[in-house]
Amino acid sequence: MMPAPVSTDATRVMVDHLFRNRAGQMVAYLTRIFGAAHLDLAEEVVQDALVKALQQWPFSGIPDNPGGWLFRVARNGALDALRRHASFRDKAAEIARELSSAAYDAPDDPPGDDELRMMFMCCHPSLPRDARVALSLKTVGGFSVPEIARAFLTAESAIAQRLVRAKRQIRETGLDLELPGQRAPGSSEAEDGFAARLESVLEVIYLLFNEGYAAGSGEDLVRLDLCGEALRLGRLVADSPATTAPAAHALVALMAFQAARLPARVDASGELVLLEDQDRSLWDARLTALGFHHFGESAEGPVKTPYHVQAAIAAVHAGTAEAAHTPWDRILALYDELLAMTSSPVVALNRAVALSKVSGPVDALAAIAPLDAEPALAGYYLLPAVKGRLLMEAGDPAGAAAAYRAALERPCAEPERRFLISQETRSQEKQEIKRS
Amino acid sequence: MPKYMLLLHDDPSGFASVSPEQMQQIIEKYMKWGNKLRTSGVLISSDKLTGEPGRVMRGKNGQVRVTDGPYSETKEVLGGYYTIQAASYDEALDRARDCPHLEYGGTIEVRQVDDMMRK
Repeated sequence: MMPAPVSTDATRVMVDHLFRNRAGQMVAYLTRIFGAAHLDLAEEVVQDALVKALQQWPFSGIPDNPGGWLFRVARNGALDALRRHASFRDKAAEIARELSSAAYDAPDDPPGDDELRMMFMCCHPSLPRDARVALSLKTVGGFSVPEIARAFLTAESAIAQRLVRAKRQIRETGLDLELPGQRAPGSSEAEDGFAARLESVLEVIYLLFNEGYAAGSGEDLVRLDLCGEALRLGRLVADSPATTAPAAHALVALMAFQAARLPARVDASGELVLLEDQDRSLWDARLTALGFHHFGESAEGPVKTPYHVQAAIAAVHAGTAEAAHTPWDRILALYDELLAMTSSPVVALNRAVALSKVSGPVDALAAIAPLDAEPALAGYYLLPAVKGRLLMEAGDPAGAAAAYRAALERPCAEPERRFLISQETRSQEKQEIKRS
Repeated sequence: MPKYMLLLHDDPSGFASVSPEQMQQIIEKYMKWGNKLRTSGVLISSDKLTGEPGRVMRGKNGQVRVTDGPYSETKEVLGGYYTIQAASYDEALDRARDCPHLEYGGTIEVRQVDDMMRK
């Protein structure tokens, strides 16, 4: 191995998540070269390369091109692995040629294609749904098993088991890093196949995002990182000519609008701030602009997905400088449309909030009454929490306090919990004032 | 000014479970620590040793015997070293005390370079 160019610039710093992102890229690249059956070996080679950096850089400094350094070391490790593993026998020479010809800094061309292939393999509809998520985070996102376990509040052993099973299934069913054959003109079968695979990829990305978003600001950085990773993967899908689709743009727009609000979601003392009370000057203007860009792109063509409608709702909020000027009638119309598309009880609950702004809390309470019987919402704290808010607005503080107490009996994150407690206390106080 | 060597021993098998994100954070901590030494003007040099166990040569009865690796009870190996200037052992220890190596369970052997004879 040639000695690595090492920086004498002591102040050099690495870009955020360099190791994690490079790990994903290199695993995707090596898995394509080795074949998907050797996914474990690719991961091992990449982990070894990162460990070498960990052992070397504290003494020698960060190299001029850290990403290139990591790739070169991983490539040498891959060549060693080829020699060690007899199973490559006939293919070893061809693989070695391919490895040797790769450019240090852009192993795949155009950049991102290997990660996209990996993403589509990890989200293959034949794999179990929870395995798709874990596998995507592990191989494309560069997250470790303990990090995935923390992000999903699941035991490490459960995540490890999901990964082992998914990899076995990949080997046994011969899944590979091929992008679905889309855009074959005249072949509706290929088009359908692509649509189903893309849907699964977008579903996994949105799941990642929501899991991170639910964590709230500052609570756990690993979980918040999921939002950033989901946004990165979404942009990869939306911006690549091979996979771009209006639904992908709509999803990126939705995630960007929501991520823009993250800095305003908690106040200085760490308490939750509702959308209408947020200081909108704290919204990330760069992310909002990204949202509007992709929202525009999503309107190309006749397709309209639930992502489109959700992005449209988020766009209305993003485009409203003051909460008091929110055009609730437009938002209500969009929720009507979304509810017709999804018939999701969670959407029905959100629609009720918009309805209360347009025609008052009594109508909204009537609209959510049937949701009590909805099994999907049985453990969902937001149903009684919304009811509490509406009852409060309707002038029934006793009913509101009872609803907030019911919400507190259901599982929710710590900031939400504190918020519910403060609302319950407020309702109690109101009730006492009313009595006296 | 006396010189001291900080010899960093660690157990590489512990790295297998460290995530990429953690590795980057660990490296950044080492960099911060190393830069502090550099800007204080006390860092003379630092080198990493290669990962393999190395060789041990022993002379006995006019024969040289070469074996692999240092004989050690633990799995710890000498990964690399820093040479720094310090007025005393106490100062050298103070400089090394916030080295991230210790945070991650490694061992630092601190030795004074003996240059009495050169004076």
